Amino acid sequence: MYYARTIGIALVFILGLAGCGGGLDTDVFDDMNPSGEDKRPAVVAGSEGTQVGQVSPDFTLQDTLSVSHTLSNELAGTSAVVIYFTMWCPICDSHMSNMRTDIIPDFPNATFYLVDYVSGSISVSRSEQLSNGYSNLDVLVDTDLTLYNRYQASMGTTIVIDSTGVVRMNEDYNNSRLRAVLSAL
Amino acid sequence: MALLGGAIFSFSPTVWAASCCGGGSASSLIMPKISEAMIDASVDMEFYNGYWDADGNYHEDPQGSDLRQYRLNFGYAHRLASRWQASVILPYVWNRSEYAGISSNTEGVGDTTLNLFYEAFDGIKCVWKVRNWEDLIPAVYYGMSLTVPTGISPYDDVDNSFDVTGRGFYRVDGTVLLDKTIYPWNASLLLSYGKYLERDVNRKYGQYVEPYKQQLGDRFLQTYTLGYTSFLENMSTVTYSLAYSYLQEEAGEIDGQPDPTTKMEKQSHAATVAYANMNRDWVFKFTWSHAQAKDGWGKNFPVTDVYTIGVSHVLR
Repeated sequence: MYYARTIGIALVFILGLAGCGGGLDTDVFDDMNPSGEDKRPAVVAGSEGTQVGQVSPDFTLQDTLSVSHTLSNELAGTSAVVIYFTMWCPICDSHMSNMRTDIIPDFPNATFYLVDYVSGSISVSRSEQLSNGYSNLDVLVDTDLTLYNRYQASMGTTIVIDSTGVVRMNEDYNNSRLRAVLSAL
Repeated sequence: MALLGGAIFSFSPTVWAASCCGGGSASSLIMPKISEAMIDASVDMEFYNGYWDADGNYHEDPQGSDLRQYRLNFGYAHRLASRWQASVILPYVWNRSEYAGISSNTEGVGDTTLNLFYEAFDGIKCVWKVRNWEDLIPAVYYGMSLTVPTGISPYDDVDNSFDVTGRGFYRVDGTVLLDKTIYPWNASLLLSYGKYLERDVNRKYGQYVEPYKQQLGDRFLQTYTLGYTSFLENMSTVTYSLAYSYLQEEAGEIDGQPDPTTKMEKQSHAATVAYANMNRDWVFKFTWSHAQAKDGWGKNFPVTDVYTIGVSHVLR
């Protein structure tokens, strides 16, 4: 009886605490019973937008050496432009490191950019680029989150835009899918 | 930096809280032999201090970063039979992070752990003096654990890794724990091997993706602990322990293809002070777990210090 009462009090406390913090929301059950349903929004192929199948809007950003890059110019003479949204975290680093060693060498005709959306200035971004060891990759600085918001990106979002401007991939970094998308171009 | 998944990987080294042959481990909540149940509560305060990259090189977090995670862990263990015990551990997690202009103040339930342990011995294995070879036989525990993804994971509606409180995967672990006390000294070895179950993914960091199946790599944990127990005048005890842990996860798979980006390693050291009262039914613990902010002490993982304050109450 004593044990049952103790357990009961503990459970009530735990569940109460979880409820107060919103911890027992639908996300919890999403993970306990994950879905494989495709919930990406339907889009009209060829329309302007940032989802797969849409034509990417043009953009211009400066890199960490203050050189401007415009998407439409970059697409000329390349098989694809790949952009990766980084916040210089360990997970981002593992993605960028994998992309640098396993993906980039196999696709010399594609152009790869990291997009720094957290540093807020070119000088800070340059510092992060160097301290994290990515001086050999071009880093675009999204100081006002224009690109981040336009692509509805988050940490690790990887975009592939083919030479005609069509978005071929827009999701979290996935090395095998990135390779497959680039190989198909 | 945070990845607050770090919390999900985090572990407290085995803490032998001066209760003979099984004072409890925060990671597996093992109770003493002669007891019917145990309640455990602890608070973890984890402070992030840079990270190791995939090559093992250490990097500092950006200037101005302040990454923390607090966890309140509730545990309950219950004896099922003379050699069998089961337990449940449920953490509640608060993320408090400032990182390069990003603020995260999220909270929620973490991943729940269910444990079942078999004790491969009947009598007390702690001795004061070695009189024959049988006195050298350690207490051996065999355990199975199931991690249930009750936390908020990267596959939920979150913006980044700062917001998560769980890993998002079921995991089954097999554990062997050997413990030997020859007063005042104690030594233990914990070996644990875990396998994640494959899951469907249709969303990552809040963004819906083309569905795929993901499986994380197998997980291996080894912890070595050496402790010394001092007896106070009233026969209460203070135990001092030092531990070394090595945690490793192999590369995972996405749709059957290798995904090396989740492969990681972490080495850490821990120091623990535990006080147990004369009856050994109340144990108070403090642990400092430290990872070296230097090259070569880990791969693809955050560097953290974890301070843990806990109390266990044994019901006989």
